[in-house]
Amino acid sequence: MSTVFSLAWRLFRHEARRGELTIILLAIVLSVGAVLSLSLFSERLQGALQERSASFLAADSQFRSRNPVDESWITESQNYGLQSAQRVSTRSMAFGEEQMSLVDLRAVDANYPLKGEITIADAPFGNESVTQSLPEPGEAWLDSRLFQTLNVEVGDPVYIGDATLTISGVLSEIPDAGFSIFNTDPIVLMRTEDLAATNVTGPGSRVSYVTYFTGDESDLAAYYDWLRPKMDDEIHRWRSVSDDESPVGRSVASAERYFLLASLLAIILAAVSIAVAAQRYSQRHFDPVAIMKTLGASGSMIRKVYVLQILFIAVLGIVLGIIMGLVIQQVVVWALADQVDVTLSVWHWRPVIIAVFTGAICALLFSLYPLLRLFSVPPLRVLRRDIDSNMSSRTLQFGAAGSAIFLLMWAYSQDLKISAILFASGIALVAGLLVMTYGLILLGRKLGSGSMGAWQLAWARIRRRAMDNSVQLISFSVTIMLLLVVLVMRNDMVAQWRAQLPEGTPNYFLINITQAQKDALSSHFEDNDVEVDEFYPVVRGRFVAVNEERVNTEVTKEDEDAPREGRDGLGREANLTWSNSLQNENRVVAGQWHGDTDIETPEGVYPVSVESEVAGRLDIQLGDILTFNIGSEVVNTQVTSLREVNWQTMQPNFFFVIDPAAMEAFMPTYITSFYLDTERKSELTMLLQPFSSVTLFDVDARINQLRDIVDQVSLAVEFILILVLAAGSLVLIAQVQASMDERQEELAILRTLGAKGGLIRMSVVLEFLIIGVVAGFMAALANELSLFMLQTQVFQMEASLHFEYWVIAPAAGAAVVGLLGAIGCWRLLSLNTTALLRKMV
Amino acid sequence: MITTKQITKTVTTSEGQLQILQPISFEVKDGESIAIVGASGSGKSTLLSLLAGLDQVTDGEIYLDNEPLHTMDEEARAQLRGAKVGFIFQSFMLVQSLTALENIMLPAEIAGMKDAKKRAQAILDDVGLAHRAHHYPNQLSGGEQQRVAIARAFIGEPKILFADEPTGNLDEANSHKIEDLLFALNKNVGTTLVLVTHDNELAKKCDRQLVMQGGALSEPAAETETLEREAG
Repeated sequence: MSTVFSLAWRLFRHEARRGELTIILLAIVLSVGAVLSLSLFSERLQGALQERSASFLAADSQFRSRNPVDESWITESQNYGLQSAQRVSTRSMAFGEEQMSLVDLRAVDANYPLKGEITIADAPFGNESVTQSLPEPGEAWLDSRLFQTLNVEVGDPVYIGDATLTISGVLSEIPDAGFSIFNTDPIVLMRTEDLAATNVTGPGSRVSYVTYFTGDESDLAAYYDWLRPKMDDEIHRWRSVSDDESPVGRSVASAERYFLLASLLAIILAAVSIAVAAQRYSQRHFDPVAIMKTLGASGSMIRKVYVLQILFIAVLGIVLGIIMGLVIQQVVVWALADQVDVTLSVWHWRPVIIAVFTGAICALLFSLYPLLRLFSVPPLRVLRRDIDSNMSSRTLQFGAAGSAIFLLMWAYSQDLKISAILFASGIALVAGLLVMTYGLILLGRKLGSGSMGAWQLAWARIRRRAMDNSVQLISFSVTIMLLLVVLVMRNDMVAQWRAQLPEGTPNYFLINITQAQKDALSSHFEDNDVEVDEFYPVVRGRFVAVNEERVNTEVTKEDEDAPREGRDGLGREANLTWSNSLQNENRVVAGQWHGDTDIETPEGVYPVSVESEVAGRLDIQLGDILTFNIGSEVVNTQVTSLREVNWQTMQPNFFFVIDPAAMEAFMPTYITSFYLDTERKSELTMLLQPFSSVTLFDVDARINQLRDIVDQVSLAVEFILILVLAAGSLVLIAQVQASMDERQEELAILRTLGAKGGLIRMSVVLEFLIIGVVAGFMAALANELSLFMLQTQVFQMEASLHFEYWVIAPAAGAAVVGLLGAIGCWRLLSLNTTALLRKMV
Repeated sequence: MITTKQITKTVTTSEGQLQILQPISFEVKDGESIAIVGASGSGKSTLLSLLAGLDQVTDGEIYLDNEPLHTMDEEARAQLRGAKVGFIFQSFMLVQSLTALENIMLPAEIAGMKDAKKRAQAILDDVGLAHRAHHYPNQLSGGEQQRVAIARAFIGEPKILFADEPTGNLDEANSHKIEDLLFALNKNVGTTLVLVTHDNELAKKCDRQLVMQGGALSEPAAETETLEREAG
């Protein structure tokens, strides 16, 4: 073994010193470096973004219940290493000395909030600042609006139920305040210690019990697994950051999938480059193996020497790759430090393990076939140089490589779907490329005929190599395709994110606008250069019966956790609107939208569209007759459609949208929204001064916060894209270098025969241009297929065609591959003929 | 030392089976040097590959130092080559990533000799290339590379040395030097030499000449006798 080891080590040392191992080493370094930097960065970034998202939940997860939570459940959470906090909330009346108001009463314990920050103001609507404290027992913090409504000041008492609390602060924002234009009562924040004294949570009251949890993802998952069987779906709900359907939640979720995709593609790129490099490595060692066999080396000795060599290369490549990955990652984190809070204090081992695993698997599995070919080189090659390896099995080559890639992707992503999609696209690409290759050969016979110029030389080489080295053409195409997928996905995804919150998204809402005020308000705002959006008519109505069966308890979006019995309803008044046009971010999931077609309903019954979630909760079906009391009038409606509503959009949303014909007799109030640049905030008082009864909702800060996060995620994705592009470009360089070896012999012969450098150079450049065009075109086709499947199956986006890349990809492929070919050829031709011939020996 | 009995070689081509060696029988004695001469494509290199155990005969028997090559698998033949055979090739066949010294050490290391480096240094000195020990093949001239190849062939003191056109890639001056070196070492070590060449001058330096023509072997008696007389 020592002879074998020393021989392997000696070969490795000399070859490394002479630059013989550069390409395969570079491929492994790149693969490990790219995978490590991508996964390390994405892991840290995901952590940072999840942290931001968690601040909207005030925790990593929330357990919501309509009943008091069993204490033992909370105690058990400690055994899982989780931190917890509790909140009890209900709607109640708050009284000042003279005035009263319905408030959103939130009683929290000392641990609240586990994530995110509470903001207070120095006076109602005054300057805001973040606080780490909470109201002390016996105290309460009131929303700015309440100070006006209750006519109170800090230090005054506020009466809630049977308790008297002292107002000790002006509450500006709490992390999980939520967002709803309607039924958003001003918040009163107090301590759970005082709740019992209020007596507002007695039997019959609608109380929501929320327990907040933070901890490691795995601990949370383990606790949820423990808790899940005990949960009653009727009264319990578990929410976590990943359930977040807000623009931020969706952006983070798709960014996570994008990072995963980018990392998977980096793995494939690495695999392709290693496969190319290993093939080149194998071919360059045919002679040494034949010589050693001739000199008496046994098959086992050859195997050991070369497996050891690959191990040396793999270890060196992995070590250098880890160093490279860490350096890239630090540079990216450093560059992003101002934009994204990516903590460096937490060390993540998983990416390192993945990178090492990737490097090792790629180095070993992708060199398996080239090594098997190498081992089978017969000793007779020393006499007959034309004798190649005894072994040739495309099935084994592609089978082994394909299985390895699929297993790596699956093991890494643990997502069979995304792996299968990418893999299937890859197979389609390879199959398509093989067909294309045959076509090219046929075409080449015609195009390449005639006297021997650069064009003919180029085609002659393609004709000869397109079959033998189809791997090279395939690897160019796969590389270009992967780069396209990463680029186009990034463009589409960022565009979609930005579309969720486009510039000019309304950041202020106005409610309680009367019919008389509507036009005046509109023109007043217009005079001040502020555009007001559509006015939504709203009437307050009581939902009283389904198919003449009376509903009795109250359930709304906000107090959905409250206990109930019998058939659910919306006993409290709800906001009803009417419209013939379907709102943005509303999607009909059953039935037909009444604005689109004339729907026949019984006499005196009008079509209504119901939000699908509330329909499910209240057991409302298509065709049901819903009865509303509006004022003293009874309005009967028939459910003609169910809608899915994105409640997180910054727009008014409604449970019930009724046919306008039903509402002609009623006098509505209106809701509208408008966009005002943050810098013009001071103009609000002037704008609203003539309309004192109109209530203003300010969501500017929240929108800016959301947009900020989306921008950060976009920026991070940008960096990931650059990393993958850099890795892909280097892979292309490695591929061209490898293929240059194969052209070396022919160039030497042509040079020896006196062919001019210009002719040879032009023929090589033309050859690479043609290969680049074909690879680019094939990549564009495969890209469309991959994107269609990724967008529809994984990213839940609308699929779109990208015709521009059908031109860009072949052009860029020709330009990049042609340029790299020209550089490689220039390097070879810069050698004199003797040196060129010697390089062949 | 070498005995062949009706050995043939047939290869499969796109046009069917092609017999490239007609039945050949001859013997080479211990310490004898023979030259196989013939035009290009006459089958001399094929014969060499069979005699050296680099390829398998289609039919017939072949014995190398009484070992039946025709019954051995590739592993056994490799073992036999390592133990008893040396090679010199027209294109030198040095491992490009090893230095001159390491190339020479290679067969000794493969054979498990403990003193491979010492032996290599000594023989490198014998071929006059001690000062080039740490140069890579592409840093050596053609003549120097062939001297390294000769040193490599003799390091294990083989019983039989096969040389395929050993001066085919060299100029006249270098050819003479290599020939002298080859025969001097051959004489010193007492190796049996089988030389394939199209160079009649070189062939004449061998004890015997075998002529290949169209895959068949003939032994020009008169010339052989002359050579034997000259040698005696």
